[in-house]
Amino acid sequence: MKASRVWVLVKGELLRLNKYNIFAISILVAIIWGVMLYFVNSTILATLLPMVLLVDASMMSIMYIGSVMFFEKSEFTISTMLVTPSTNAELVLSKVLANTIHNLFSSVLIIIAFVLLKDVKLNYFLIFVGIVVTTTFFTIFGYYMAYFQKNFTGMLVNIMIFAFALLIPSLLYEVHVITADWFQYVLVINPFQAGAELIGGGFKDYVFEWQYYFSLAYLLIGTVLVYRFLVLPKFHDYSIRQSGV
Amino acid sequence: MYKVEDLRFKYPKNKDDVIKGISFEIKEGEIFGFLGPSGAGKSTTQKILIKILEDYRGKISYSGKDVSEFGNDFYEDIGVSFEMPIHFSKMTAMENINFFLKLYKRNADVETLMKRVGLWESKDKMVGEFSKGMKIRLNIVRALLNEPKMLFLDEPTNGIDPANAKILKDLVKEFRDAGGTVFITSHIMSDIDQLCDRVAFIVDGEIKEIDSPRNLKIRYGKRELRVEYKENGKTITREFPMDNIGKNEEFLTLLQTKDIETIHSGETTLEDIFIKVTGVGLRDESE
Repeated sequence: MKASRVWVLVKGELLRLNKYNIFAISILVAIIWGVMLYFVNSTILATLLPMVLLVDASMMSIMYIGSVMFFEKSEFTISTMLVTPSTNAELVLSKVLANTIHNLFSSVLIIIAFVLLKDVKLNYFLIFVGIVVTTTFFTIFGYYMAYFQKNFTGMLVNIMIFAFALLIPSLLYEVHVITADWFQYVLVINPFQAGAELIGGGFKDYVFEWQYYFSLAYLLIGTVLVYRFLVLPKFHDYSIRQSGV
Repeated sequence: MYKVEDLRFKYPKNKDDVIKGISFEIKEGEIFGFLGPSGAGKSTTQKILIKILEDYRGKISYSGKDVSEFGNDFYEDIGVSFEMPIHFSKMTAMENINFFLKLYKRNADVETLMKRVGLWESKDKMVGEFSKGMKIRLNIVRALLNEPKMLFLDEPTNGIDPANAKILKDLVKEFRDAGGTVFITSHIMSDIDQLCDRVAFIVDGEIKEIDSPRNLKIRYGKRELRVEYKENGKTITREFPMDNIGKNEEFLTLLQTKDIETIHSGETTLEDIFIKVTGVGLRDESE
């Protein structure tokens, strides 16, 4: 893998995220979240802000990577990428890196607004780690999901089903609708919950227990495993299918 | 440059091979054409040669080395123009080109190339606003921007007007004249006839004939001369065998005494030869 070439690919991906208005959409989403959260009181904000950051790092990551891949599919550009000196690993990695940078940007916008307007206290390093690790995991997961989607609408429906199955239990636990102790052990294998733990770790009242460290290891190892054993091996077949063969 | 021996390929979902044991060689500095109807296996062969399709059987070597042994640096030497436009439509032509340019070690003079295909004036236009002809010309620029040694063209003039087609054909000939090697697939007979040094007829995954267009015309054409002349206000056509034409008294007398309108050798078109050799029409199967 050549770092200089990956950087060229990442810059190209970021330029396209801008040109295809995905950056504009993410800024708009950040503003909508910001406006919504601005009007809630401090107690609710303390619960909602980590959730908003989690949704941004998880569902929105899947959606953004899916939309980028559907743009590529509609324009057959993947064919021409396959005949460059770039390796499959470089092509996948650059997309994941660009999407992570892009998502970090929208999360940072939300955070800046709340630090300035609502005096939210954060550990910047830990919130950065939480968002980057969560975004990277869900981006690579979204990459794999996109392999099996026939169209963008189908992908949105599947994301909703996926989110309903995994995100809702985490949210119910977060807002104390589910309070049973045993449920925390079930939740640790849920990547949404792992993301919630990592992002929560950046907020001042978070209590660091085994769940945080488990979640960090879980998402980091999960990212590597999904990339190495699911995304990369199927990339070539997917690319050939998209190139019209 | 390329040597293909007993190449066979089957798509995973197909029962039968789509490429059925073809062998051919592409010599350095030549334009080698694959002529055949749609579905004959032309694009599949090209995708195997450029290492997009794997799991083939047989042997393919490039510059004396098995292609499977090459890493991705292989693409430093290769330029590919696909049949369909392959650009980021919401980026300008130059943004597209500049992005790809940075992925290669060798960079062509883009300004010269863009001027050559008549796109320099439109370099800052969104590709989405381009006509199909402009997009295809940009495909060629994309294929040439790494100064490749070997150029692959898949149906390069399909769907573009004759003026743009001529620009592309001239560019391909210039590339060959500068030492480059070209593999071109087409179902358009005139492309192959005008461009190729050698041509392979491919039908249903099998090569039926390989030779230069000239040799094919000589081999399969009628060895005769057709003369049209005026007599009593009418145009009369006579045909003479080519053998010993200089000693054919009747022919010589006709030349000396009649008002000759046209003289043609009995060349057959490449399309006629294709039909004769393969028993299949180029247009019939592509429609």
